[in-house]
Amino acid sequence: MTPIYATLVGIAMGFFIQRVRASSPGMIVRNLRLENLSVIKFMALTMAVGMILVYTLSLFVPSLLHWDIKPTYVLGVLLGGLVFGVGFGVGGYCPGTSVVGMGEGRKDAMVAILGGIVGAFVFTVVYSVLIAPLVKVMDFGKITLADVTHQSPFVVALIVGALFLVVIKLLPTEVQKAQ
Amino acid sequence: MSYAPSGGAATARQTRFPAWAFYGVLFGILGALSILAWGPIGVSGTYPRFIGEILELVAPSYAGSNEYLQKVGHLFAKGETFVVIGLLVGGFLGARLNREKAPACEMIHPSEKTPARRYRDAFIGGFLIVFGARIAGGCTSGHIISGITQLSVSGFIFAAGVFATGIFTAKTLKGRHQATRA
Repeated sequence: MTPIYATLVGIAMGFFIQRVRASSPGMIVRNLRLENLSVIKFMALTMAVGMILVYTLSLFVPSLLHWDIKPTYVLGVLLGGLVFGVGFGVGGYCPGTSVVGMGEGRKDAMVAILGGIVGAFVFTVVYSVLIAPLVKVMDFGKITLADVTHQSPFVVALIVGALFLVVIKLLPTEVQKAQ
Repeated sequence: MSYAPSGGAATARQTRFPAWAFYGVLFGILGALSILAWGPIGVSGTYPRFIGEILELVAPSYAGSNEYLQKVGHLFAKGETFVVIGLLVGGFLGARLNREKAPACEMIHPSEKTPARRYRDAFIGGFLIVFGARIAGGCTSGHIISGITQLSVSGFIFAAGVFATGIFTAKTLKGRHQATRA
């Protein structure tokens, strides 16, 4: 059943991304320049709703949830994020939005995907030598904020979710230029 | 009808409840449903798995001995691959059902004066996002959306890195141009 569920989730996700214009690299760059925050607010709201929902579900039907917490190897995760951010700023796409953009008929999205395929190839070749040693540095394993704070995951989800909602409410969508 | 600054069609409903808020709530529900159905949403692992399938055809002995390809597994054994196929269809449907025509080549930085410059930036950007995502073990979907939804510490660290250099890069690419023009 997984292929069917996953395809349907992908179609809905691609539709949502297209509707909020997150597949437009121009819109992404306006968000990164902090001129328009609609995509950042979209992502924050997604996470707030998602975390409150899954941790509420975990109180009632814990055995039905398929968690997949990624390991926190601090140096590699941070370095990867920094490299990703440069690419995000230069191209205006992320690995998922470029696929949505290709579905919309954007040729620069296809070029970004091609760049991603070449990037994945180079990564695969250099992994054993360059990356494998890196991901062992400061590896704390699969930890969540609830593990770190020793609090109930549900309570942490409510607090972080509420914090996100407050920030979303306070932030403007269209940022007025100071000058 | 008034203009909805967050994009999308400016329907009466969305001017009261902007597109980012409407679809943000739906996407949050979708992420939770996905964890119920089979697991959190992710995308970037599909790129090396795709490379793995190609290498399997052209250089099977290398593919069989590559440590990373063994680690990421086969393309069609993963739900993620089907998410990516869905994204392609979803993007097509979103544009088509709303009669929108996306630009084939959208210029995003002042320095992108020709399509060739835009394609160069798209290629470099595409290379770095996938390379960076693979170092970290996930991208905007796996690490940020799904990771932070599960309260994973790695998701917060990855997001901090992405926005630090992402904001710096986007602002620099705009500012440098204004400085040279002044």
